[in-house]
Order: sequence, then structure tokens, then C-alpha cells
Amino acid sequence: MTKDTGDGRIHPAAEMYADEYRAGLIDRREFLARATSMGVGAAAAYGLIGLNAPARAAEHMQQGGTLRIQQSVKGMKDPRAYDWSEIGNQSRGFLEYLVEYNSDGSFRPMLLDSWEVNDDATQYILNVRQGVTWNNGDAFTAEDVARNIAGWCDKNMADNSMASRMGGLIDQDTGQAREGAIEVTDEHTVVLNLSAPDVSVIANMSDYPAAIVHSSYEGGSPFDNGIGTGPFRPVSMEVGINCILERNTDHEWWGTEIYGGPYVDRIEFIDYGTDPSAWVAAAESEEVDLLYETVGDFIDVMDAIGWTKTETVTAATIVFRGNQEAEVGGMKPYSDVRVRRALAMAVDNAVLLELGYSDRGRVAANHHVCPIHPAYADIGPAAFDPDGAVALLEEAEMADFEHELITVDDDWQRNTGDALAAQLRDAGIPVQRTILPGNTFWNKWTEYPLSATQWNHRPLEVQVLTLAYRSGEAWNEAAYANPDFDALINRANAIADADARSEVIAEVEQLLRDDGVIIQPYWRSLYNHHNGNVVNGEKHPAHEIHLYKIGFAA
Amino acid sequence: MGLFILRRVVVMLLTALCLTFIVFFLTNLYPNLEKLAKTQGNMRMTDEQVATWLGERGYDRNLFVKYGEWLGVLPGYVVEAEDGTVRGRCIDAGMTPEEAPRFCGVLQGDWGYSTVFREPAGEIVFKRLGLTGWLMLAVMCVMVPGALIIGVLAGMREGSKLDRSLSTASIMTTATPEYVSGVIFIAVFASSAVGLKWFKGTATSAMDNITWENFTLPVLTIALYGMGYIARMTRASMAEVMTAQYIRTARLKGVKFRTIVLKHALRNALIAPFTVIMLQFPWLLNGVVIVETLFNYKGFGWTLVEAAGNNDIELLLGVSVVSVFVVLVTQLISDIGYVYLNPRIRVT
Amino acid sequence: MEPLSWTGTLGPVLNPLLLAAAVVFAVSVIVQIVLSVFVPRPVAEGPTVAAPRTVVDYVGWAVMGSFGVIVAVCLAYLAIGPMMPGYQGKGIVGAVSLQLMPVWIALIVTFALSMTFKRRLGLYGKLFDSTIGMIGFALVMFWVFAGVFGAMDLIVTHGALEQASGMKNKPPGTPLRGAEAGEYPYYLLGGDNLARDVFSRMIKGAWEVIRIAPFATLFAFMVGITLGLPAAYYGGRLDTFLSFLANLILAFPVILLFYLLVTPEIVATGIPVYMAAVLFLFPIIFFSVLFNSRFHTQTTKRAIYIGSTLVVGLWLYSGIAWNADPLGLIEFPPNLLVVFVAVVFVNSPTVFRIVRGLALDIKTRDYVAAAQTRGEGPWYIMLWEILPNARGPLIVDFCLRIGYTTILLGTLGFFGLGLSPESPDWGSTINEGRKLLTIYLHPALPPALALLSLVLGLNLLADGLREESLRD
Repeated sequence: MTKDTGDGRIHPAAEMYADEYRAGLIDRREFLARATSMGVGAAAAYGLIGLNAPARAAEHMQQGGTLRIQQSVKGMKDPRAYDWSEIGNQSRGFLEYLVEYNSDGSFRPMLLDSWEVNDDATQYILNVRQGVTWNNGDAFTAEDVARNIAGWCDKNMADNSMASRMGGLIDQDTGQAREGAIEVTDEHTVVLNLSAPDVSVIANMSDYPAAIVHSSYEGGSPFDNGIGTGPFRPVSMEVGINCILERNTDHEWWGTEIYGGPYVDRIEFIDYGTDPSAWVAAAESEEVDLLYETVGDFIDVMDAIGWTKTETVTAATIVFRGNQEAEVGGMKPYSDVRVRRALAMAVDNAVLLELGYSDRGRVAANHHVCPIHPAYADIGPAAFDPDGAVALLEEAEMADFEHELITVDDDWQRNTGDALAAQLRDAGIPVQRTILPGNTFWNKWTEYPLSATQWNHRPLEVQVLTLAYRSGEAWNEAAYANPDFDALINRANAIADADARSEVIAEVEQLLRDDGVIIQPYWRSLYNHHNGNVVNGEKHPAHEIHLYKIGFAA
Repeated sequence: MGLFILRRVVVMLLTALCLTFIVFFLTNLYPNLEKLAKTQGNMRMTDEQVATWLGERGYDRNLFVKYGEWLGVLPGYVVEAEDGTVRGRCIDAGMTPEEAPRFCGVLQGDWGYSTVFREPAGEIVFKRLGLTGWLMLAVMCVMVPGALIIGVLAGMREGSKLDRSLSTASIMTTATPEYVSGVIFIAVFASSAVGLKWFKGTATSAMDNITWENFTLPVLTIALYGMGYIARMTRASMAEVMTAQYIRTARLKGVKFRTIVLKHALRNALIAPFTVIMLQFPWLLNGVVIVETLFNYKGFGWTLVEAAGNNDIELLLGVSVVSVFVVLVTQLISDIGYVYLNPRIRVT
Repeated sequence: MEPLSWTGTLGPVLNPLLLAAAVVFAVSVIVQIVLSVFVPRPVAEGPTVAAPRTVVDYVGWAVMGSFGVIVAVCLAYLAIGPMMPGYQGKGIVGAVSLQLMPVWIALIVTFALSMTFKRRLGLYGKLFDSTIGMIGFALVMFWVFAGVFGAMDLIVTHGALEQASGMKNKPPGTPLRGAEAGEYPYYLLGGDNLARDVFSRMIKGAWEVIRIAPFATLFAFMVGITLGLPAAYYGGRLDTFLSFLANLILAFPVILLFYLLVTPEIVATGIPVYMAAVLFLFPIIFFSVLFNSRFHTQTTKRAIYIGSTLVVGLWLYSGIAWNADPLGLIEFPPNLLVVFVAVVFVNSPTVFRIVRGLALDIKTRDYVAAAQTRGEGPWYIMLWEILPNARGPLIVDFCLRIGYTTILLGTLGFFGLGLSPESPDWGSTINEGRKLLTIYLHPALPPALALLSLVLGLNLLADGLREESLRD
């Protein structure tokens, strides 16, 4: 399977994690996430704790067939501007990634063969996989990797979402990659020199905007260019209708001998709109084999019609936040910490989980760090005290203020919002509900005074904390600006060792809760369903569909 | 007659012009443009980014100039962005600014570009219209004969039990909007819960291959709602004809009831329903939108919803032009047909 | 607590009877229809000889008889059910009927009064000569009363937005977990997806529909009449222009218009307010001109009527269109306004065309010519000569149009446009309920049947009115 890191050196922290695992301090999943992000291959990581990597079901799979997946088909754009996991899946068949995040929490090297991280997470040595070719015959080299990374660092591209994740490589003056940040030392080695420690580089390379494109690609739809390293080739795609890939028989895919696959000959993503009842109808009509995601009550519906459920525990969540800078009727209601805390105290997170998501997940504690994150620190559950909430509001002279709670029109998000509104009303806090259709909602999602946002799963806790709560970040929807928090999160970002980091994270968690920044009721488990014939179609925590792994049962 | 048609065509063009301008105006309001920028660029753009995005694509100019460009009476814009890339209305992918034509509007046969589907708007409209055409055809094949038979049966003996039960049934169907009947049909005939599973609850596969299973429910849903209305018109018209003097004469002469209905009454009774059926076309469009959304059949109605929901300006204009055309042409046909069917009316 | 059964203690007695009657009814109706197609009706030979009894007649009796039994059993459920002791004894039907008691009383009073004085009540009174009309009227008034009393919190058992833990998607008759004293202990028609009471939401939804649909239709009629009459009366350029405008709006597919008008973006631009400002002027103009043309010779009366019209009209206008009521009594939230405006806007051109057509016909009549010779002003003729003579078809269309507006409101709900998403209006509830229809029927069916019966009632009422007005 995978080799160990280039020189066979195992990161010292990884061995320490292995000890912790054996001592029962962390679970297997957490161990894998920690160890593999330190550059230890998944097989080696399993080896460290004396287990065999889970065997794939290749022998039970038949070769060939057409896999039909229900999924929204969205317009293609430059991979760096991808804003939906779905778009990543549409191109995943031919545009591959350097690293692949797996649902067991491990990072699997794809176009990289392995990587090494120094102890304070400022230097990454990337060993590029040998023997990979583009489907037009060009060889895949370190230059390709360096070019793509440099592209990610381009801050001048307005909608480049990778730039904010490559901060350590960017020269803030030019908005491009810093001189000397990306070095190609030989044909198969790239060295990244970060200006500041960052433990999330590898995790970021696995995220959907980090697809690796060919040098001839010049923006626009990757489907028009069509050159990639993957085992499939694009056939056709119509936004909102379908997206078709087929196995590229002229191209010898590097992964066949290493990971096996691909198994199916043709893949069709078929768009059945956003209404889950239409997906059920499609499933009942046997027009699809695999659902992208099953949500809320539809999990029961799909179970009832006899489809096979798969589940993955994730750090995906919903966050209610007051925007601290937003003005309502001439004042900023949520700039007052008492108001924010009062709202959080009036809500019993467990009830939101029951009514909003049918108890399919874990209760969260208003600090956006999930127990499955490597550096999670348990600071106890969030307080529930409706009377105290009203008292706080009265103290802030905001008891009569009518809050307007905005959510997107999406089954579970609006249900959770409605349940939250009901709880506030129960506590005697006036609240009005507004539900906006998706297109409208996302227009101003960071600006609403009080709204709910869904956050996807991210492998490391520092990723989401940096993205969503550091002052001035584009996605800081709470308009939270606290120098203490910034200092803490910057410190956390420099600690490669998750155990040491978790001490800082504990402070971060407490700070977020004390400042009443968010009401974060629960962590969602994600589900999907397939018709029982699909092998390896399990739901992925980051909504990725690894097409090469999937096949039909023999 | 020629003059009549000519006048109607002129009115039609004028209507289309006014209507597209209204659509153009509404879709070019700033909040809508902002929505467009964010859906096309990035959901999470800042206000400045939105302004640049719109500027680079020529959306921030005078409304009338933009409308003129769409029509093709004004030359298309050319804007140079900050990073030096030149964008122009008439500059397609892979074309240099020098090669591009100066005008590219409807008059030049260019219906613009759909921002949602990233394809030329004209192509999309006609492809989707073709799919809806099949649906409409099937609906008409079910609805018209069904409604006429019910109407004639009910109207030939006014006040009989058959009349009363058929009339009540027709009223029931007109009181059941598509979003109620469609939902009930899916629950009863397509869901595992009830377990009949005779048909499919989605018509997505009918886009490639129409079958009994995937097309019955959507067709039935639309047909049922329209059927009651036509049936009642036919019934009224039939009942009126049956009380006419010449029918009474025929009956007194001892002509068989069946012959009276088929030979004497039917032709005259069908004039009024004909008009109603023609005028039903634009109205069916509404049903089509609901049903295509409900059953995920990606035709014209679905395109309309997608275009409107995403503020896809040029596609929406194309959709509007086509629907105006359908409405006005059916009106024209109904007027002309009325004249041919009814010898007492002359158009001057 | 045990969940309620549908029919309580009456069930074991009456259910088999109902079932038997239903079977007989179904079979005999089918037989009857088959017979009426294949067996020629015996032609009565002369006036004195009664036609001999045939199979057809016996089948007819079976139909009538079984139908009578069905109606009687249903009435028994509704009337005797509520008298049974305890919730278990009443069953769901009985308990619902008991909750609806104010509606039953109001209906009985309305019918008793109307039947007694029907000869003095004009067209309304004549309605009570037609069975169809009466059934339609009863259905419509049922929902009107239910809506009004529901808004007064008389009928509902729980709040429309109240959620109760553990009641999510529970079937009809489920007892409320941990009900406190004073709380209604059951969800009569079950709980919806968010554990809200389906019965209460349906009743509250009736109010949403009852307060929007008729008023929107009324406004559309005012606009249509105010523009349609002069278009027909004067003809010429005015007619051409107004007709063109009407046809322009009619050429829009309704849903496209809704998608263009009823979005948060458009609300943000303030366009609905301006449209409301224009459209809602018409009722004021209508009434002012109406009184002015009538009383222009009697200055005092004219001053009183027009003065009061203007005061009340402008007060309502400022409240409804501009949301700036100086007294602060009327509130019109923007998302309700935009729905209202859109519905009025869509309906007005059709009304305009109907009014114009009727007026074109009536203006050739002798009494119009007579009025012209008398030297009456054009607006007097239009509003006091032509309009009253066109009332029959207009009233009929009004009834049908309220039904159509109800359906339109539902369509808006279906596409998630317009009214507040938590709103209990039927369109939104149907749309929400349909998503889970494959496993839970009960949240979607009550609002669907409610909408169906209201529209059906309006259609029947229109039919009855049409029949009766034709008899003039």
C-alpha cells in the first residue's frame, strides 16, 4: 500500500500518539487523523498501533457498469474558486488531488508519494509520486505541483478560496507566492517554506478547491480542457441536469496498481433538484444507484424503501450567530455580549438536535471544536438557563427587542431554526422567523444580524476556527474581532503536536463561549443511501465521492 | 383577413417588445444583479468585488443601452478589466476583440448567453421547449378527447344523473390544483408506502425515453386540472345546442337520439370549446411549470424556474419571448379558427 | 393515555353500517351509470301514462337510499359524537366537531335566518332555492366562520407555531406528552414535521386564506371596473391603450410574474410599495367617483359621502400601501404586501376584460340611451346604469376568482415565494407536508382537503348564483 515517509523517518509525534492510543487516551480515528497529517502513511499509521489497514472489498466488486449518482450538478469554474463540494466531485474523476482525506480520518497520499513536516510545522517536504502521467501523455512532475501551489497563492484572483488557506506561502505585498516559499529541489520534490507555522497545510491540500490542473488549463470550465491525471474523462455536462464521466481507456492510471480501481465504466451525476422528496422518487423509480446525501426525516424514508444506509460521524455543524457589527433599527443588537450570551443560554442544544435533526448527531457545546478533532478539549456542556437569559437581556435593556432569525430554506436548517425560535419564545424572548431561498440567502450570508450557517466538516479544528472567527477573515460571519482570540489561534496554529495544542484550544473554546459568539447546537452525522449493490459508496465526511473506489457488488 | 393578421402581428411584436423591456428592467435592478454576481462569481463575495465583477461584465451601464445591445440595435460593449483581460458582449470564447462583430443581439439572431447553464440562451430555450412540447402533446391527447367526451355526455341530457355526476366530477378537478393532485398521485401510485408502484414518481428519465411508467403521472396531473374547465364549457355549449329549434325539429321527426347527437349537435357544440382549448395553451404553461418542478422533468417550465431563481437575464428574456409568442399565437389561431367554424362571424 | 380512535364509542355501532351503505352506494352508482349509457330512457308515451318501472328505477332507489344512510351516519358522527362522555367516547371526529361548535352554530343561524327571509334578500335569497348553491354556500361559510373564529382563538386547540416535544409526525389522536392542566390533551389531527398541531394550523390557515383571497379579489375588481367601464364606454384610443396594457400583463406566464415580483430582492428595491401605491388608489377613486356621479346635485350628501370615503380610504391607503398609518392600527408587513400586490396585479386584467366585454354589450341597451337623453353624465351611466346590470356575471366571476386566488396563493407557497415560511396558510403547509407524504399522510392531507373544499364550495356557489341569476 502506501510507503512510509521518504526516508523512513516516522514523525516523533506520531509515535507518541500511538502510545496515547494504546493508553486509551485517543480513539483510533483521532489517532489516524493526527498521525497521517504528520506525514505518516495510513498503512504505517495502522501499523504503529498494531492493526492492519482495513481491507478493501475489491474482490467482491465486479468490473464495469454505469454508476448513477443523485447529486446537484453545478456550473464548473476554476477549481480554486470551487464553492461547493459537488463541483469537486464533478471533476474528481479526472482532476485529482495531492492528498485524499478518508472517512476514517486518515490522509492518503495521491499525487504525492509522501511528505515530511518539521517539528514546528514551518517546512513541508513534498515527495511527488513517480510514474504519474496526464491523460494527454505528459509526465506529471514537481513543476506541476509547484505551479498549482503558486496558483493557490494568487490573492489577486477575486474568488480564489485557496489563498486564505496558504497564508504562510503568500507575500502580502504582491498577493502572490513569496519568493522562495515554493522550491522545486528535484524532479520529484517540492519544498514549502512557510513564514509562519501552519499545521493544516496537508489537510488544505485535500480540500475540494485544491484540484491539480494541467499547465494548458487557463481558467473556465475544466470540462473544456479535460486534461487531468485521473482514471476517468469528462464526456458531457449540463448544469442542473447531468454530468457524465466515462472511464478513460486510452490512459493508464497510476492508481490501478497502488490502490486498485477504477471499477465502473461510466459515471452519471443526475440532478434531481434540491427537494429531497424528488430524490426519494428517483430512488423508488430505480433511476439512481447512490444518493449524494440523505437528510433529516428522509433517512427514515429511505430506510423504509429498503435502501442501504451508510453513516459517517463528522464535525459538520450548524452555527447560529449574531453579527456583532450588523445594525438593526439604528443600533447593533449583537455587539452586546450580554445579548449574545442570553440567546445562547435560552437554548437547550439537545432539543434542537431532536427537533432539528432527529437526534442524528452529537450535542455540541457552543465552541465549534468537535470531539473528533485531534486537539479537542472537553470544557463541559453549554449552560441552559432561560431565566438567566431573560435576566441578562433585561440587564442589557434588550428584553423587548424582537430578534429576526434568518435561515436558508433547507429542510434541517430551517427546522433547527424554527425549533430555536420556539425555544426563544418559550423563554419569553420575542423572535420573528425569516426563511430565504438558497440563492437569496447566500447573497449576504455574512451580513445578516442573526442567522444560521451550515459549516462543513474540516479535518483539523484550527482550520475552521481560523477561517470563521479570526478578525477580518472573509468568512467571519459573526464579525468577531477579539485580539485575545487572534493571539490564541495564531499560537495554536504553530503547534504541530495536537496534544500540546489542545491546551491552547481549551482556552479558545472557553473564550468563544464566554463571548457568546455562537450557538452551536449539534454536530451532524452525515448519511447517504445506496440501492444495496454499490460497494465503497459510503458517505464521506467532506461530501467527497472517490469515484475510483466505487463499484458494483459482484 | 390579411390585414387582420398583419395588425395582430404588429401588436404581437409591440407586446413582445414591451414585455421583454419589463423583464429586462426587473432583472437589471441592482439587488438582482448582486444576486447574479454572487451566484456566478462566488457566494461569498464582498460588495467591492461585486461592483468590479459587474463592471467588468458591462452590467453597470445604462438600462436602455443594455437593452439596445440585447436587441442588437446598439453595438455590444467592450470593457477592459484591471488585469488587462478584455471582455465584450460579442466576444465569444477563443475570439480576439478585433474579430468579434460589432452588433450581437436578437436582430442578429444571437439570443445571448445563459449565465446559469453556460450555454447560448437560444439553444437552451429550444431544446427545453422540445421536451415540453412532448409533454404538452401528451396532455392534449389525453385532455381534449377526455374533456369533450365528458362534456358531450353531460350536456346531451341536461339535468340527468349522468350529467350531475359528471359535472360534479368536472368541478372537483378544477378545484384541485396541480400541486395537490400531483402530490396525491405520487403518494398513491408511485410510493412504496402505499405500495402500488404502478408508475414512477419522477419524469427525469422521460427526457431521453418516454415510457408509460415515467410519463403517465405528470401528464395526468396537468390534464386533470384543465379537463374540468373544458368539459364544463363543452357541457354548457352542448346543452344550449340541444335546446335549439333544429334539434327539437329533428327529434320530432323521429331521428334517433344517437344520430342527433353525432350528426346535428356535435359540430355546433364544439365551436365554443375550440376557443377555450386554444386559450388553454398559455394557461397550461403554469401547470407545466408546477408539474415539471414536481416531477423533475427538465423542460421549459423548469428552465423558467431556474432562470428566474438565478436571475439569468438573457435566458429569462428568451423564455419570456417564447411564452408571449405562445400566448399571442394561440389567441390568433383561436380567433381565426372561430371565424372558420362559425359562418355567422366575419372579420373585417 | 390511549390515543383516540376516529369515531369513539359510536364507532362499533355505526362503522359497519357506514361501510355497508358505502358499498351499496358505490355498486349502485356504477350500475346506474352503465345502465344510463346502454339502456335507452323509456320515452313517456303521452302525458297521462306513467312509464313502467324498470331496473333503472330500482337502482335509482338503491342509490338514493344508501346515500341517505351515509349522510345520516356522517351527521350522527358530527352531531352525536360531541355529546359522548370523555375524549375517548367522542373520538377524533366527535372532538373535532365539538371544537367546531361555534362554526356549526353560526352556520345554523345563518341558514335559518336566510331561509326565513329569503324572499326579501334579492339574489342572495334566491341562492337558497338551489341545492347546489346552498351546498356551495355552506362550504364557503364553513371556512369563513372557521377562519374568523379560529383567529379569535375559539376553535384551535394549540398555537399555530407551538411545538411540543415528542409530537413530531405523530398520527391523529395522539395524546400530548406531559400535557399540563388547561392544555388540550390531544393532537386531534396529529403533529407535523415540527411537532405542531395539524388541526390548529389548518384552522389558522383558513384565516390566512380568508383574509387575503377575498380582499385581493375585491381590489382586483375595483381596479378592473374602474378601468374597464371607461374603456368600453368611451372606446377609441383609451380602449386601445388599456386593452393593450391588459393583454400585455396577461401575456406573462403567471409564475414568471411571481418570480419577478415576489422575491426578497424586489422587495428590497421598494417596487411593490409603488405598485401598491398605484393599485390601491383605485378603490378610493372608484368610491369617490361612484358617490360624486350620484350625488353631484345634492351638495351636502355628496360632501358627506365623498368626505368619509376620502378619510377612511386615505387612512387605509397610508396604512396598507405605505405601512405608515398615522394611528398605528393597520400593519401590513412587506412580504404580505408583495403577495397581495402580485395577486391583485395578476387578476386585474382579466376582470378588466370581463367588465369591458359586459359594458360593451350593455351600452347598446335602450336604458343607457334613455339615460344619455336625460343628460346624465358618463360616469353616472357607467356606474349606476351599466354596472348594476352587469352584476350577475360579475358576482359569479367574483366567487370563481376567489377560488382561483386561493389556488394562486397556494402556488406561491409551493414555490416558496411570498408569505412567511412559518405561516400556516394552506399552500405552504401542503408544500411542506408533501415532502414526507410517502410516509406521513396526515400533515399534508387536511390542508389539501381544506383548500379543495373551499375552492369547490366557491365553484358550486358560483354555479348556483349563475343558475339563479339566469332565471331573472
